[in-house]
Amino acid sequence: MAGAEQPLPAGAAAGRVAPGLARVWPPLLTLAALSVLSVLLALSIGSVHVPLSGLLALFGSSADPLYYALVIELRLPRALAAFGTGGLLAVAGALMQVLLRNPLADPYVLGLSGGAAVGALGAMLLGLGALVVSGSAFVGALLSTVLVFGLAHGTGSWTPTRLLLTGVVVAAGWGAVITFMLVIGPTERLPGMLYWLMGDLAYARSAWPSLTMLAVACIVLAPLGRSLNVLARGPLQAATLGVSVRPLEWTVFLAASLLTSVAVITAGTIGFVGLVVPHMLRLVFGADQRLILPASALAGGSLLVLADIGARTLMAPEQLPVGVITALLGVPTFLYLLYRSR
Amino acid sequence: MGIGNQPISVAAAWVPALVAGTLLLLGAVDLAAGDGPCVIDDKEREVCLSRPAERIIALSPGVTELLFAAGAGDRIIGAVRYSDYPEAANELPRVGNHTRVDMETVLAMDPNLIVAWVSGNAPEQIDRLEQLGLTVYYSEVRNFDDVARSIRRFGTLAGTGAKAEQAAADFSADLDRLNQTYGDRDPVRLFYQVWDDPLMTVNDTHLISQIIELCGGHNVFGALDRMVPRLDRESVLAARPEAIAAGGMGEEDESWLEPWKQFDQLPATARGNLFFVPPSTIQRPTPRVIEGAEILCEHLETARGRR
Repeated sequence: MAGAEQPLPAGAAAGRVAPGLARVWPPLLTLAALSVLSVLLALSIGSVHVPLSGLLALFGSSADPLYYALVIELRLPRALAAFGTGGLLAVAGALMQVLLRNPLADPYVLGLSGGAAVGALGAMLLGLGALVVSGSAFVGALLSTVLVFGLAHGTGSWTPTRLLLTGVVVAAGWGAVITFMLVIGPTERLPGMLYWLMGDLAYARSAWPSLTMLAVACIVLAPLGRSLNVLARGPLQAATLGVSVRPLEWTVFLAASLLTSVAVITAGTIGFVGLVVPHMLRLVFGADQRLILPASALAGGSLLVLADIGARTLMAPEQLPVGVITALLGVPTFLYLLYRSR
Repeated sequence: MGIGNQPISVAAAWVPALVAGTLLLLGAVDLAAGDGPCVIDDKEREVCLSRPAERIIALSPGVTELLFAAGAGDRIIGAVRYSDYPEAANELPRVGNHTRVDMETVLAMDPNLIVAWVSGNAPEQIDRLEQLGLTVYYSEVRNFDDVARSIRRFGTLAGTGAKAEQAAADFSADLDRLNQTYGDRDPVRLFYQVWDDPLMTVNDTHLISQIIELCGGHNVFGALDRMVPRLDRESVLAARPEAIAAGGMGEEDESWLEPWKQFDQLPATARGNLFFVPPSTIQRPTPRVIEGAEILCEHLETARGRR
C-alpha cells in the first residue's frame, strides 16, 4: 500500500500525482524481483520433470542434452515471450485507460484486436504458414488503427468519446467478419483459429520483438509520465497546465496501438491482462503514471509468465490457451484488492 | 541439437535388406541419399532416416490407424487424444491433442520420427519440432490412393515394408471388388449427413463422396464449393434425394435420421431409405473405410430394390 495515501478508485478521472520520484523505486524493485522469480519458476516447471541437479547442470558444461532442449530451447524463449507480451498488453491497457478516461478501456477496445484477428484468421483460412499469419495480423492491426484514427479525426470536433465510439463500432464490424470466417472455415482449422482468438503462447516464435518493444516503450514513455498524470485529470485542466493535449493524445493512441500490435502478433489476442493489471496497480500504488507504466510492464509480464506455466502443465499433456489461466489467476486477485480498498 | 536422431541400438540385419528390396520393387526410394529409408511425404519433401523408425509419434488419430495398418503399430511410442483404433491404440501414451501438442513430452520421448497432420496440427509447433532436430513426415490423406500410398511409405520408414505392401494391396483389392460390384449400378441420388446441428454434408472432394461414387451413388450436394457445406433442411427437401445416410454421436445412435421421418413427400422418406452408417467406419481416411463402404454400398443396393 502507498502509505498514507488513499488508493483511488480504478480508472478515476482524477489522477493523483505523487510528490516525489523517489517513491517510485521500492514498488518497482519489488515487481522486478517478482518478474525474475516468475521467469525462474517458468524455467523449472513443465510437463516433464527436470530435477534440480539437472537445472543446475545447465550452467556448467555437463548439461544433459534433453534438459538443455527442454529448458533452454523450449521453456526460456516461451517464458520471455510471455513476459514481453504480458508487459506490452498491460502498458497498452494503462495508456488506453488514461487516453479514454474510461475504466473499461483495454488494449483491444478500439478494434485493434479485431483487425489483427481478421488478418491472422484470413491467413489461417488460406492455410499459410506461421510467419504469414503473424505478418497479416500486424497488417490487420495497423489497418484498424489507421481506420479508427482517420474516422475519429474526420471533420468537426475531436473528443475521446468520439474516438471510443469509432473504435467500438469498428470493433463490432471486425467481430462480424471474424464470425463469418469461423462459419466458412474448414472444420479441421477451427480449433487452431479459436486458440489464436483466445491467445496462446505456442504461437510465440521469438521473444525478441516483444521484449525489445517493451524496453523501447518504457524508455520512450518515461518522460511522458507527468504529462499523462495531468491528462488523466481532463483535457481542459491539462491544457490550462500547459500540456498540448491533442498531440499528446494522438501519441498515446499510436503508442498503445503499436504495443498491442506487437503483443498480438506474438501470441494472439490474450484478454484480461491489459484490462486488469493497470487497475490492480492503481489500487495498490495510487494513480501516478510515472509509477503505473513501468509497474504495468513488470506486473503484466509476471502475470502472463505465471499463467503460461499453468497453461502448459495444469492438464498436461493437454495444452490450455493461456487466456483461460490469466483470468482464473487475475479475477480473484483483482476482486480481493477491490474488496479491501473500500 | 540432434537429440531426435540418435542411432538406434537394435537393428536386425535383415530389416534394411528387406526394406531396400521392397523399395527397389516399388521404385519409391532414392538409394543414393544414404543407408536408411527415404520416402516423399505429402508436402512433397524427402524424408530420410538413418535407420528404420523405431520410436514414432503419431500426431493424428488417422495417422495412428495407418501406422498400425502398415505393421508399425508396435513402433508408436506416443499418440494424440482420440487415437482409439485399433484397440491397442487406446493404451498408447498421450502427447496432447492434435491442435496443441505438449512439446516437452514429445521431446522427452526421444522419437526418431514424427508423423504430423498438415491440416490438423499447429504449423508453428511442427516447425519448432523440426528446428529442434526431429525428423517430421507431413501427412495429408484425402483419397483412396493416398491411403494405400501412405501405408506403403510408413512401411518403408518403419522397416515393415512387406506387411505394409500386403495391407496396401489388400486395401486396393477390396476397393476394386466393391467398385466392380457396385460402381456401374444405376445411380442412387443420396444425401449424406455428416453432422446434425448445424446440418452438414460433404462435396465431391471429400473421401465420403468418393465412397458414395464407388458404391454407384450420386452425392446430391457433390457440386457445392465447400468441402463440408452447411445446409438448411429446405435445400435437402428441394434436392429430393432417393436415400439419406447419416452418422450420429455414437456408433449406434440413429437419432439424426428421426427428423427426416416427418417429410413424407421426400422420396427417401416415402420409400423408407433412411440409413445409418457407423461414423467411425467412414469418416477417417484409413483402411477401415472399406467397412463403411460395404455398409453404404449395401444400403444403396437396398434403395435400388425399393424403386
